[in-house]
Amino acid sequence: MAELLQYVVTGIAVGMVYALIALGFALIWKSSSVANLALGQLVLISSWFTYGMLVQVGLPYWIGLLLTIVFAVFLGWSIERFTLRPLIAQPILSLITVTLGVGYFLEGLVSFIWPTSVAALPHLFPKEPVHIGPAVVSQEYLWAAGISLALFGMLSLFFKYHKMGIAMRATADDQLAVQACGVPVTSVFSMSWMFACVVAAVGGVLISLIGGITYGLVETGLKSFSVVILGGLDSFIGCMVAGPIIGLAENLGGGYLTPIIGPGIKDIIPFIIIIIVMVIKPFGLFGEERIERI
Amino acid sequence: MLKLNNIEVVYLNVVRVLHGISLTVEDGSVVALLGANGAGKTTTLKAISGLLKVEEGDVTDGSIEWEGRRIDHSSAQEIGKLGIVQALEGRRVFGHLTTEENLLVGAHNRKERHIIHQDLEMVYHYFPRLKALRHNIAGYLSGGEQQMLVTGRAMMSAPKLMMLDEPSLGLAPMLVEEIYDIIKRFNDERHTSVLLVEQNVRIALNIAHSGYVMENGRVVLDGSADFLRNNEDVKEFYMGLSAVGVKKSYRAVKHYKRRKRWL
Repeated sequence: MAELLQYVVTGIAVGMVYALIALGFALIWKSSSVANLALGQLVLISSWFTYGMLVQVGLPYWIGLLLTIVFAVFLGWSIERFTLRPLIAQPILSLITVTLGVGYFLEGLVSFIWPTSVAALPHLFPKEPVHIGPAVVSQEYLWAAGISLALFGMLSLFFKYHKMGIAMRATADDQLAVQACGVPVTSVFSMSWMFACVVAAVGGVLISLIGGITYGLVETGLKSFSVVILGGLDSFIGCMVAGPIIGLAENLGGGYLTPIIGPGIKDIIPFIIIIIVMVIKPFGLFGEERIERI
Repeated sequence: MLKLNNIEVVYLNVVRVLHGISLTVEDGSVVALLGANGAGKTTTLKAISGLLKVEEGDVTDGSIEWEGRRIDHSSAQEIGKLGIVQALEGRRVFGHLTTEENLLVGAHNRKERHIIHQDLEMVYHYFPRLKALRHNIAGYLSGGEQQMLVTGRAMMSAPKLMMLDEPSLGLAPMLVEEIYDIIKRFNDERHTSVLLVEQNVRIALNIAHSGYVMENGRVVLDGSADFLRNNEDVKEFYMGLSAVGVKKSYRAVKHYKRRKRWL
């Protein structure tokens, strides 16, 4: 019983972080219908960057985190400015391929700068575990879930009420019409990449605090893909619902199936879910269907 | 005042679609731009609003002046800030946004919140139906409502020049009249100039002060609305009327052919 509860709590918490990272995909898809295939590498590079600032340079925690955010914003800006903007009005497939290229470039950059394969961030949250009923959960999980939820709330409000947020959603609907309204689409795209990199960075730091920094972080990005696909490519709510589902499935499946099927099943589960969802519900749980007036 | 001097537009550096268009829109006037499909009307509007650059088109010759300043090299956003707005053809609402959010995007370039709010009320005053639908998803509005929304969205930028591309497209005659009445009232009350692209020549010339007829990327005829309404060629080719205002008889189709030959 205690074991089950523990799987559930940690599964949901990790799932929330997946959901946060998945927002980095949904944001870009929503405003420019480009699939951001560099998601995992964005998570990877920002986690290593935080490690570099905190451990190698030895900065205090808050400055290190602040610098990570600044780094993420800069990264997002430069990806959009230097690789995607020259390709505006080109076939969408070229743009998607470019994000793949950016991903591999970043991965290469990381292994060039930080050849060590494993590292750990210093503890940020108190070490004492929390007792939830019979289960014992370390505090990192709860903080990760809380921070993800808070960031998700902030972004949702931004998109619902802020002028720029509304303009970003409008861009997703009709790029030409939005320009006729005087909205600079280039800054919309650039902003969506900045947001995407920031959520990937925060998600990356949260995941690294739980599981350490390895090259496996790229897979965290891949797991976020399954979140996006399950939730519907462009839906925020979809991400936030699908995240915990994937996290739970991964944890419960990993916990109870490993003795039966063998290790490794945990990492396959999200991808099994992708395939099932694609077959049954191609728009995902909350995806925007094309509006057809009848 | 908007002034186009002999502009030429080339798409993708190869296809020349406008061969020297000149036209003038006086402050506070309504000007109709008429012509068949493919005459270059929409391209002319896009050249003015700067949207041409997005579609790999370019003004290669001539100049576009707005209030004495050349704008043919400015971006769509800069031109928007000068008070020129274009409502695209075909009711391009933002389908997944609500009516009110659509209108707010129209005011994107404006800073003062309370004035934006006033303008929202102004648009609702001209289009009371939009007020009732303010929280509805725009993609599910009817065609007429979407056209109202697109026109209202153009009004939200508080334009000095509003360019409307075929506001009558695919609408029932009664709705067309309703929308045209509103455009006329907006022009009267706010002194916003209107440049109107239209296939429906009769209704366009009803509210326009002057007009231009385009064919194959050239202006072939221009003059006051009265002059155009009474011009034999306009009647013949664009209103389907023969000499004295009677419906054209298709038995006399030979006459039509003869005319085309010497054109």
